[in-house]
Amino acid sequence: MKPLKSLHRGFTYSFVAGLCLLHTPVHAAEVSVHKNEQSGLLTWTSEDDGFSIELIQLLPDFVRAVYAKHGFTHEEVERIAGYCVFGSILKNTSEQQLTYKVREWTYTDAQGKTLSVKTKSQWLAEWRKAGITFSWTLLPDDVVFEVGDWQQGFTTINLPRESHFDLHYTWTLDGVPHRGTLKDLSCAPETIEQP
Amino acid sequence: MRKMITLLSTALLLQLAALSVQAAWEQPELGYQLTPLKTPIDAPTFKLNDMDEYEYDFSEYRGKVVLLNFWATWCPPCKREMPSMERVYQNHQGENFDVIAINQMEDGDRIFAFTGTLDTQPTFNILLDSNSAVSQTYDVRGLPTTYLIDKKGRIRYRAVGGREFDHPEVEKIIEALMKE
Repeated sequence: MKPLKSLHRGFTYSFVAGLCLLHTPVHAAEVSVHKNEQSGLLTWTSEDDGFSIELIQLLPDFVRAVYAKHGFTHEEVERIAGYCVFGSILKNTSEQQLTYKVREWTYTDAQGKTLSVKTKSQWLAEWRKAGITFSWTLLPDDVVFEVGDWQQGFTTINLPRESHFDLHYTWTLDGVPHRGTLKDLSCAPETIEQP
Repeated sequence: MRKMITLLSTALLLQLAALSVQAAWEQPELGYQLTPLKTPIDAPTFKLNDMDEYEYDFSEYRGKVVLLNFWATWCPPCKREMPSMERVYQNHQGENFDVIAINQMEDGDRIFAFTGTLDTQPTFNILLDSNSAVSQTYDVRGLPTTYLIDKKGRIRYRAVGGREFDHPEVEKIIEALMKE
């Protein structure tokens, strides 16, 4: 078993004149935090060792809108909207084959408790029991990326609004395992006050 | 009546929320790399309807190079790559090349409304995979996913995520497949 390469990605952020982009290189990784001036929502982006991960805060109403229009029951819409949901964009930025498995990903909450990230397969199994056949929008959980491939989908964390947590994620590049941590992510609030 | 107004207002607010966040979800640049399959595999055949309920049989595309794209209206990179699919389709009009976009689990009304919002209207075939059965036979894990199929009906290239399909490098691959 080859050793996992451990990367700790810390960041601080402040906002200057509305839109603000900070780059905080820690070890080899580079993490940026971006605040959308229009929506007020935050985006975290990290790129290292051929893997780019971007997490975008999503408002619960956005999540409700997505699933309501796909025929989900009110109960199921509220259940997933009750999670801390991020839009996620994962990219293979290397010239090699890359794989990732969401079932290996964990998060550590503010109390120091580490839990598994809920996978698409787990959601689909629950939805099937509820009679829902819709199977898209969530981030695929076991993926092989060839050169130039990328993927977009929702990542769900079982934490309340505005919670802070660290995300620990893994990937392999040409068969070599890697690990990264995005520190102090925060869940979106219920709503954002418009000016 | 009041209940209906409340429901409609809620639906409108949810739609506005969706639109505002979607607009804020900035998208990465589209690349152009397609992955060649080491061993070409036979493309699963299928029969699907278009929005006018006309049935298309994929086996009838044998003899053509086909860009087969799996997509949905709510998928931002799907929307972004669609104009390049139309351009590459137009570039090869009258040749042994075709583009098919297979929509996942949406109805014709929604697709029709969506295509009306595009600057470049797609004129290639859009087929409805209403229960995602065809995407499953192609092992599509996420949207968009695109396959380039040769004249013998074999999958030769794959792309996961949005691409610029009229990029010169992609055009070169299409031309080469058409010459085989």
